[in-house]
Amino acid sequence: MGAVTGSVGGALAAIAGRPRVEEGAEVHAGFTIDGLLPRWVVRPATLEQVSGVLALAWDAGLAVVPHGSGAAQELGVPPAKVDVVLDLRDLDRVVEYNPDDLTITVQAGVTLGTLESWLAARRQFLPLDPPGARARTLGGIAATGASGPLRLRYGTLRDLLLGVRFVQADGVVTWGGARVVKSVSGYDVPKLMVGACGTLGVIGELTLRLHPLPDAEQTWVVPCRDAGAAQDFVLRLLDSTVQPSRVEFLNAAALAACEIAGSAAAVAVSIGTAEAAVRAQGDALGALARAAGSAAGLVAAGFWDRYDAAMAPEEGVRLGVGTLASKVGETVGEIERAVAASLAGAAPTLGGCAPLGSLRASFPGTDPARVKAIVERLRAAVAPAGGSVTIQRAPRDVRRVVDPWGPVEPGPLALMRALKEEFDARRVLNPGRFVGGL
Amino acid sequence: MPLSPGLVGELQRILGPEGLVLSYEGRLVYECDMHTFYKGAPDAVALPATTEQVVAIVGLCRRAGVPVVPRGSGTGLIGGAMAPSGGVMVALNRMNRILEVDLPNRCATVEPGLINLALTRAVEARGWFFAPDPSSQMVSSIGGNVGTNAGGPHCLKYGITTNHVLGLELVTGTGELVKLGGKVADRPGYDLTGVAVGSEGTFGLVTAVTVRLLHAAEAVKTLLASFTDIEDASEAVSAIIAAGIIPAALEMLDELMIRAINEGTGAGYPKDAAAVLLIELDGPAAEVDAQGERCARICWERGALEVRVARDATERALLWKGRKEAAGAVGRLAPTYLLQDAVVPRSKLPAIMRELRAIGARHGVQIANVFHAGDGNLHPLILYDDRNPAELERAKAANEELLHACIAMGGTVTGEHGVGLDKAKNLPLQYADADLNFMYRLRRIFDPDRIMNPGKLLPAHPACGEGFRPPRPRLPEGAWI
Repeated sequence: MGAVTGSVGGALAAIAGRPRVEEGAEVHAGFTIDGLLPRWVVRPATLEQVSGVLALAWDAGLAVVPHGSGAAQELGVPPAKVDVVLDLRDLDRVVEYNPDDLTITVQAGVTLGTLESWLAARRQFLPLDPPGARARTLGGIAATGASGPLRLRYGTLRDLLLGVRFVQADGVVTWGGARVVKSVSGYDVPKLMVGACGTLGVIGELTLRLHPLPDAEQTWVVPCRDAGAAQDFVLRLLDSTVQPSRVEFLNAAALAACEIAGSAAAVAVSIGTAEAAVRAQGDALGALARAAGSAAGLVAAGFWDRYDAAMAPEEGVRLGVGTLASKVGETVGEIERAVAASLAGAAPTLGGCAPLGSLRASFPGTDPARVKAIVERLRAAVAPAGGSVTIQRAPRDVRRVVDPWGPVEPGPLALMRALKEEFDARRVLNPGRFVGGL
Repeated sequence: MPLSPGLVGELQRILGPEGLVLSYEGRLVYECDMHTFYKGAPDAVALPATTEQVVAIVGLCRRAGVPVVPRGSGTGLIGGAMAPSGGVMVALNRMNRILEVDLPNRCATVEPGLINLALTRAVEARGWFFAPDPSSQMVSSIGGNVGTNAGGPHCLKYGITTNHVLGLELVTGTGELVKLGGKVADRPGYDLTGVAVGSEGTFGLVTAVTVRLLHAAEAVKTLLASFTDIEDASEAVSAIIAAGIIPAALEMLDELMIRAINEGTGAGYPKDAAAVLLIELDGPAAEVDAQGERCARICWERGALEVRVARDATERALLWKGRKEAAGAVGRLAPTYLLQDAVVPRSKLPAIMRELRAIGARHGVQIANVFHAGDGNLHPLILYDDRNPAELERAKAANEELLHACIAMGGTVTGEHGVGLDKAKNLPLQYADADLNFMYRLRRIFDPDRIMNPGKLLPAHPACGEGFRPPRPRLPEGAWI
């Protein structure tokens, strides 16, 4: 723990090797985090190198930003300080695949696309489908807790992460969880790493629970008169024996982006199981749709790719709105009115997992004051039901003016602060970017 | 150390005459859970009826530096709900109301003392159920299920308790009431709910739980296949999973267990069966039919002696009968047993079965097996006669060796029962010092004075003590530190 005697760049080079360190003018502009160019970018080849970099950062008081595909770097409060970007994409090894156990252990830099190709031969998959999933790294998906339509049936990474190896802020490599599908030995540490945005540790390795790919899958779209009718249809569907794998709400703009026109709202339902069961369940879905005065129309396989793109536009603002399944209609109306009021009649593109009340809204306007008005109005609207509004993506000027996370109740927030203080007292890991300024 | 008269007086004032057990006989009832090795009676048993009372009890105990031990129905198997260092036990059985059933949002909020099965009973007429189904579900409390993160036969498909908990109301070790999570799925911040489930009362006392409810499946199909060789049965398990089928339950009984059951109530398993595999599928009728046929075919291909398919609920109950009576049936083989709960990767089942036979032979004890084959969760019952101290020692030695064998195969020391007092000493088999130290520090966030269920979950180990620091990484030459 001696005093700093050499240069940080020299030390980083000693840890990771000179070719793995970019310094000063060498730093690629692509690593700019909310307008801040890091002083160093390190691309470690091993977990030991990650550990070394963090140990150094801890001693030297450097702010470290873990980096996967970069897809989620516009999430959270713009940082005040970025010293080192830790580019984890070379941690791209599949450590151990046990197809008979439906488990796999991968390094954090493995992308979902790479994983898919590993698993396809055995007809297995990791059921995670956040926007742009294939290009994203598992470490990034875990750190941001990202999810997509499949969460209805399979849960989120929270439910699929069995074990995790991470590096604490001071460089200590730590393991939590297990390598088997069922374990309750000790605290459920993996839960703490999911969605923590790397503020408690840098995820290095993940042991994941896999699922068999269904024999067959089909998707139907059920047009609805409005969002309220869509909500009613979803609640009736959930109270039936149909077991869908995805049930997503779409408003008119989302439908148009998916090249389906003609209704103000709709529900997209996919069913994946044995072939005969897909047919039978599809019939049951059709009957439910008819009873609601609509019809279930089969759509082609490319639908979910279009939906994925529609939910994650490159520009503008993306919000995540958490509400109750029983308030989806009301909340959709509130979002549409709030956007129209602040953005001169503009309509948001709206979708999301209706049974979980997990909505996603995007709109093109990025004027900070106007976005602030929208977000604050929506937060007030969903607060009574315990809902939340988070900014999933927005230009930094917006996130400077509006807290992208929104308020957390004082009790839980105090525990979260205590956690951060305990495990990263020197505020090395993504400082200031998470809830409550953590 | 007995409680001070002042503390007793305060507790009596808060809880009323019916709410505090002080008599020796009364406290003795609470001296152990179902792992009867471990005994420790509390100095007092508090029976709160409200969250406010729980908050007050923890506050008082914290100021007095007295341990607080949570207890539900006392059906745990790990020496969790007992008081090794005395203190105040808080038995939450009186807090057993269903606070809300909200079917449109597929959830219910209940008090911790509610019996697991009572929740399903309350919603099944409307076609819904609560998925976690530990074998004790007729008597165990949901608060206890949350504390131990309980599993059950059907968690192969549906996941364990944590996958069904949306929110908690927790009185932490500082006596503060915090609401974690809730009905709405997406909440910014750390997943405190997730980390509190399974913390075995060391973070605090849960006073309300919001859980997910699921809609009952259209159809259920139960098959029972018997084999002359347990390796064939294990291979059938692997083949079923490899075929892309995740049954709701996939349970196995070994030869010794089959004998015990056949000699007892008589589930009528074939006499020469060395393994019985119970397969339950649920889901859409067409799916269950297709997968049922596939499972039967797989079992025949692996040399099954017979495959029975239940035609109705009565026959299904009959197929399950032997499995449900397994633990009781071994009473015919030996006066008592040690029950283990280790896990191996599913593909290692044949190897661990061979290893178990070898361990039993080495220590001169019989080991009967009933286990959740689908997820590799073993429940070996190591039989012994408690009137013979030498036999108990041999059983204990076999037990420890078994745990080591499971860990060596990449497994874990507990799959669904929890750690408690029983397995705390085994955690270092599975975790390095840095990992244990992380857990120790995590616990301190919720319970800085370590009054909550002391002695449980974390081992007495240097890494779980103040002042311990895991070694810092060694940096190469030139990287100054």
